[in-house]
Amino acid sequence: MKIIETKKLSKVYTHDFIDVEHGRIKFNFFRRTVALDGLDLEVGEGEIFGLLGPNGAGKSTTIKILMGIIFPTSGTARIMERPLGDKEVKAKIGFLPENPAFYDYLKGEEFLDYYGQLYGMPRSVRRKRIDELFELVGLPDHAPNLPLKGYSKGMIQRIGLAQALLNDPKLVVLDEPQSGLDPLGRKEIRDIILRLKDQGKTVFFSSHILSDAELICDRVAIVNRGRLVAMGELSHLLSPKIKEYELVASGLSRESLDVLEKHARKFIERERDVLMILEKEELVKEALRRIVAENASLVSLTPRRETLEEYFIREVARTNAPREEVRA
Amino acid sequence: MMKVLAIALNTFKEAVRNKVLYFLLIFALLIMGFSGVISDLSIAAPEKLIKDLGLAAIDFFGFLIAVFVGVYLVYTELDKKTIYTIVSKPIDRYQFILGKFFGLLITIYVNMLIMSIFFFAVLYFRDATDFDKVMKAIYREVAPGQFEPIGNPQVQYYLYHLKQFIIAVGKGIATVFGYSEPITHHLMRVIGMSALGLAIITSFAILYSTFSTPTLSAVFTFLTWIIGSLCEDILRYAERLAQKAGGVQNLVGPDLLKYWFAQVAMHIVPNLALFDKRTEAVYGPWEVATPNIHNVPIDWVSVVYGLVYVAGVLCLASMIFNRRNFK
Repeated sequence: MKIIETKKLSKVYTHDFIDVEHGRIKFNFFRRTVALDGLDLEVGEGEIFGLLGPNGAGKSTTIKILMGIIFPTSGTARIMERPLGDKEVKAKIGFLPENPAFYDYLKGEEFLDYYGQLYGMPRSVRRKRIDELFELVGLPDHAPNLPLKGYSKGMIQRIGLAQALLNDPKLVVLDEPQSGLDPLGRKEIRDIILRLKDQGKTVFFSSHILSDAELICDRVAIVNRGRLVAMGELSHLLSPKIKEYELVASGLSRESLDVLEKHARKFIERERDVLMILEKEELVKEALRRIVAENASLVSLTPRRETLEEYFIREVARTNAPREEVRA
Repeated sequence: MMKVLAIALNTFKEAVRNKVLYFLLIFALLIMGFSGVISDLSIAAPEKLIKDLGLAAIDFFGFLIAVFVGVYLVYTELDKKTIYTIVSKPIDRYQFILGKFFGLLITIYVNMLIMSIFFFAVLYFRDATDFDKVMKAIYREVAPGQFEPIGNPQVQYYLYHLKQFIIAVGKGIATVFGYSEPITHHLMRVIGMSALGLAIITSFAILYSTFSTPTLSAVFTFLTWIIGSLCEDILRYAERLAQKAGGVQNLVGPDLLKYWFAQVAMHIVPNLALFDKRTEAVYGPWEVATPNIHNVPIDWVSVVYGLVYVAGVLCLASMIFNRRNFK
């Protein structure tokens, strides 16, 4: 079953006729901004799917359309093979918006209880589930009785995640779940996402933290300027070829160093050792031969493949060829 | 239903944290307390002044709460983007609107209840501390025309007032739950009608805030209230214009415009005058010499009119909210 499917999804924002900007009146007759331009996406069951793109690419717009917060200008989208807005489907979705803000006068527990009621969960189920969730998302013991006003940004993100998991959803949609978190917090979110996958849930999230996305995603889609740039499994998108080798050695003779320096793409002599980046396999073999011959020591040898970040930057740059803002 | 109730209760929790609410409440209570004090200046019937001022304060401050608290409720959810997580839950948008409406209504009614209790307490207290009654309580008539104090008159005087104060508060609470004495007869009905009128205003505050900013919504709500309260007078004025000209067909220019404006306003804007039974309760019908107690029959037509109006406005608000994109 396709969990999410969009076809030619587009969103065009029409500006207000008159805007007041920095105390000046600005007229925007018929000015429009294309936020999303014919996006086709497919997300299968049980996947961790990453929606990646630079700021303003249309990631949040896509998620807002899927969550029924805004309506598409054209195109269609279906979740769990039902049209958007279907209440039965909504009951099986958990959603965490970007930089979430909640009712700061409610205590952690009251807040989750309120949202539990919106899911139509009976009181006993809510009680049990809320206790589980506080533990799952790793909130401290005093969190349930602390008003959200007193929560730190990381805690808000966690309780936001907790509200998204209240209904034990089949599909979890997270908009920039890692923004504003420290490295430890980011790792915990990654672990939670992986655990959700183990439980058979589908996770659809947007991110611009590519290293994290690379670690956990089964499939990704890259969007830029409202258009799909690439979509597929990471292993297919990224070239499996080794791009270069990173070699660290110590105790090589001056002569060998001079020879290698000439051919290396990057060559850094450090206090104890030398780091070189070599592009050809022959050069690596040559370096190894010299290390053995001179009885020098090899500290490390790492083959490097293309990273998602490099792929992303290349693809985004390719599609960034100037496109006029649409004026009708 | 559970979802609407959950939203309503959360709205109530949010509204009671609004400091404006307390300023309004304190101000209303001050006015009522003050009415008790200045009622001594009234020549004929002190309780009329208390009633008039008190009932007006309950209605007006209820209205101010609807405006100043109400117009922010929907806006805050949009501004803080809490609406994102609400609409993604399995609820319909109309349920959200209903929840907001009932939450605001609960807030207003709780305040009206507090104001009413205070109002009745002032009324009972003023009645019980009438000069004659106080004198009767602290002096005993030993022989015709001869009085002697019961104990220390000064102590008795304060004790009597304290006792009457406690009794008045108790009676005030009882009155809002159906108890009545001749002095408060039918007043709960007046407040009830007022509450229904406020439900209409509340629904308008919610309607406006589904598509405009708080300031504009407040202005719109205020205008609706003014036109609604005056629309019978406006209509009367229009009829007079027509009469003076010798028929509608003879009206020309600005007068014709005024006439049609009044006609249109009368049919679009709620006729809030229907829910204002204060004059009737305090002063009685125009043509009858005024006894102190007036019968205020329940006006079922107005009740139905009010309920239908509220339902209509909420439908409209839901329709607008249903199509909104939340940026």
